Amino acid sequence: MPITGVYFIPTTPNATTTLTTLTERLRASFPDDDLIPIGRWFLDHKLMRDTPGLLPHSTNSGQPPSKPRYMQLLSLSHYPTHGFIYTSEPTEKPFHPPSAASPAASPAPVASAASPGQGSTVDMPMVMTTVPPPAYKTLFQHFTYACQPFWCHRLTVTVPNGVVYDVGDFRVRMGDVRQTFPAARARGSIVEIEWRGPSVVDSLSGMQQPRSDGGEDVDSGVDMSFCALEEADVDAEYVATASLIREFWGRLGVSGAKEAILLPGVGKEVKEKLGRVRTGKRDGESKVRDEIGMLVGVGSVPFEDDVDPTAGTDAARQYMEVLRFNR
Amino acid sequence: MHELLLFASVPVHQHHGLLQQLAGLTAMQPRHALERRLIFKAFRKPGLITGRVGGSQDLQQASAGDLQRVNKMLNGGMFYTQVVGPVSEKDFAPASKSVSAPDADTKMAGMDESKPPTLTQPDIAHVYDYDQQAWKLEFRDIPEAATRSAITTRVMASAALPRGDVEPSMNAWGYGFVTEYLVEGDVFIHNDIVIFLHRVLHYPTGEKEPREPRRNLPPLKKMAPLEKTGSYVLQASITVQDGSNQETMKTASQHLLGLREQLKSAVRLEPADRLSLDTRAK
Repeated sequence: MPITGVYFIPTTPNATTTLTTLTERLRASFPDDDLIPIGRWFLDHKLMRDTPGLLPHSTNSGQPPSKPRYMQLLSLSHYPTHGFIYTSEPTEKPFHPPSAASPAASPAPVASAASPGQGSTVDMPMVMTTVPPPAYKTLFQHFTYACQPFWCHRLTVTVPNGVVYDVGDFRVRMGDVRQTFPAARARGSIVEIEWRGPSVVDSLSGMQQPRSDGGEDVDSGVDMSFCALEEADVDAEYVATASLIREFWGRLGVSGAKEAILLPGVGKEVKEKLGRVRTGKRDGESKVRDEIGMLVGVGSVPFEDDVDPTAGTDAARQYMEVLRFNR
Repeated sequence: MHELLLFASVPVHQHHGLLQQLAGLTAMQPRHALERRLIFKAFRKPGLITGRVGGSQDLQQASAGDLQRVNKMLNGGMFYTQVVGPVSEKDFAPASKSVSAPDADTKMAGMDESKPPTLTQPDIAHVYDYDQQAWKLEFRDIPEAATRSAITTRVMASAALPRGDVEPSMNAWGYGFVTEYLVEGDVFIHNDIVIFLHRVLHYPTGEKEPREPRRNLPPLKKMAPLEKTGSYVLQASITVQDGSNQETMKTASQHLLGLREQLKSAVRLEPADRLSLDTRAK
């Protein structure tokens, strides 16, 4: 999982930045590099909000307005093995006593209701889930069909025609963000800057993937080096790389952008992986489950195996941060 | 997606014979299936709705239509849904000796020393790994109230979920864990029909009902059938991708009714009572 930064430039009445403008800026900023598009990319993002939060706040009732909760579904063409679902943590832990006659759900607030109401949604912890592409689609339909009292689909935006460039040690993905639901209109442009230089985080997260080059004894010297790695080192690398990405972005000289980098939660999966490596439990060695893997129930989908279900979660968080429009 | 179904009750003495008959009919060996089924229930903050719906006079700033839509959504249906995970017999604790259980909640002390828990050679090194458990979400709506009630028809959805602990995701999505059970049975495929001869097993009573999905499983021998006589349910189902296509639905119904005729001498396949398959959460 490479370290990335995501920038969103909103379309405003007096300033319009488009893919064409961005490409020109990129060419002007790096005149020595040959800027040839190396590929295309695609993004699809659906924003859902908690339905009760859509009611206007009652003025005379004493209760403070509750914080908005979001569910965001994101699909990125550069992580084709899964879609990302990022959901605000529940404000109460549900528990249904199996034998109780009435649903006497005792509200036990988990998240502290310290700062009610307005403000950013960043302080609300969110849960990242990755699911295979067919499930991504099915789950969205399920939420819109069976979860109306608590989830309401607000927005869908896509980047239909993104372009990928390699510039030095960076990979840049740019594209125009189009809103397709509820009404079609332009929202702005988006830029992802990915650090492709040497990175401990990247090699750590890529470690479990089986190397096809063979001959290398993957589990000898290479792994031992990670045991000396601390979480602080991971954090330090994120900070160091972020400054490189910011410097790169600064050279483009685009103003008015919303930046998503070093977000809370970024690096979570990498650290978890590091923890597993250090305790000697390699999830790459998890037992072969092919006998069960293909076991299908009644009228159901077969289980597909995602080699690295956490790939791209950092980038996904950053995309979702800038695409969480206030709706 | 839609699902069309027929059911039959199979007494335990008929079970073996029916397995043979189905193997003959479908020209395949039964595929044994064990599934953990976790029941989740949709929840919303109690009291939130009643406190606000009536007081529309101070909500003038929102457009009436929008508000109406939100109110309609708030009063929309909420459902129970299942999270299904396939397990193998090896995942269950051996009955002969008490394995050092990391989870104190699950009592695994074996009393039934004489019988081995599995028919296959028990793998001593095999330990059930909850963090690697595969899951899928299985949603079923209440069957459609149709006049042509020869077949049960309902809306369904099936989606793969990540491995391991699904509870944080399910909680965030608005579902709370209620309870779990196990389904044991055999699957046959007959053209486009999935035949599932199965029964529901309960976890051993006496152990404390956990508030979250079990991290390890008791000996399979200790699981008790929900139906005390141990009888089975025969379920024949066809999944239709586009339920709005009347032609496809009709074809699927005819196939199911054809199977009913073929099995007429053995079992009586019937539609289920609609309300007994009600998945709505009150």
